[in-house]
Amino acid sequence: MAYGLLVTNDDGDVLIDSDFTHYHFLGKYTHSSVTQIPDVSGGSDAYVDEGGNSPNQNKGMENMPSKGEIYVFSVPVNGANPPMCFIKPTSTGSSAPFTGIVLTKQSGTNWEIRVFQSTVTSASPVLYCFSPLSQVSNSTSTTYGLKTFDSSGVVTFDSRFKPLRAVGGGNITSPGLAHTGSTGSSWNVSLSVNASSVSTSFTSQSSASDLIYYCPSLAHACQQYTHEEDDSGTFDWESYAWARGDIWWCFYRSCFRIASTSSFEANYGVYARGHIYEHKGDSSSVFAGLILGALTGGVYFAAILAAIVASGTFNNAGVDGGNYLPYENSYRNTSGNAFIISKASYYD
Amino acid sequence: MSYGIEVFNSSGTEIFSSSDSTWTLLGVFTSNADTSTTHTGVPIMPTRIVTRVMVDQISGDDESYVHTFSLSGSTLTTTRPHATETVKTIFMVFGK
Repeated sequence: MAYGLLVTNDDGDVLIDSDFTHYHFLGKYTHSSVTQIPDVSGGSDAYVDEGGNSPNQNKGMENMPSKGEIYVFSVPVNGANPPMCFIKPTSTGSSAPFTGIVLTKQSGTNWEIRVFQSTVTSASPVLYCFSPLSQVSNSTSTTYGLKTFDSSGVVTFDSRFKPLRAVGGGNITSPGLAHTGSTGSSWNVSLSVNASSVSTSFTSQSSASDLIYYCPSLAHACQQYTHEEDDSGTFDWESYAWARGDIWWCFYRSCFRIASTSSFEANYGVYARGHIYEHKGDSSSVFAGLILGALTGGVYFAAILAAIVASGTFNNAGVDGGNYLPYENSYRNTSGNAFIISKASYYD
Repeated sequence: MSYGIEVFNSSGTEIFSSSDSTWTLLGVFTSNADTSTTHTGVPIMPTRIVTRVMVDQISGDDESYVHTFSLSGSTLTTTRPHATETVKTIFMVFGK
């Protein structure tokens, strides 16, 4: 730099460089509403009572893991750059829920931020948001502090607006599959999150409950369990045949927690879930191939899901329509999730 | 603090200190859906991190890959993992 202000520390880290924009405190925000993705649940029953020993249990959401909840925030920062939103979680420690930002979307002069928490709690997460000064409309009457400008005369740092102060950070990798091992047996599904949390460390701090973190959710996983049975024979002097096929699935989003004063953890929460089935019986003849072969994510289920979505099932959560089964028993975007740690007390 | 710089507000509360660490915004870059893009002119600092934000809502019927990236010198190379299932991604590069 030919002129200006450059502040570095004894590690050689740049703290203030007047040539570059710094993020400043925009405000502390509470959510405006809470929502969950509605379940996709339904099926087709036809003549199931005529099917002899035809199974009729667990046609709803029995045994499915609980969903997390989604907090909706509206952050008033008008500009092209999304705000950096740090989460102040509802609690910290090895039993705390996992929380992560799952939506960042510009909406008029605001940015809509959605925060997903893996379990439902009475307390709510709070956002501490930061933005470049050019997008901060806060005012102040104080005349104390330090202010820097770039070569064009644009303010790049102004201590009156509480510049972002980080106390730690790094990269974290989310687990692969959210559920490991058996996904179910017979008509009983088992898709709860049981993956081991991935942990990474940061510079130790004095109080975990004072920490806030920035780490948008990138990873997601989708897993399913399918089961089908059929039978035919003679019962009570009448021939019968039945067939039933089911698909259960969960869509998981990655989320995070402050596990200790020096440990940051990643895992998943159940973001959306569904269960659909087809069940048919007949009392006169066998019907081999009636539904078998069209099960488990095939065209038939896609059609049922499309019908459910078209009826407005997803509207309450305001999400795009879709079948919520974008892939089977796999995961995406698990690596290289950068995170930054700061302290709420700097801004309270 | 025996050396460095501390900035206080008018109430005497410390607002910023050279014993802090912080991240300076070096650039914001957007890679559109299903498109690999090379961004140039990324300023260099001793340490840099790249954060990614998946913009807009994940949809249930696409796979929502985010771009992968590599940062070398002043070039941020972002790559679509999938030709038709990669979402729009905002990259924010910070340095210190």
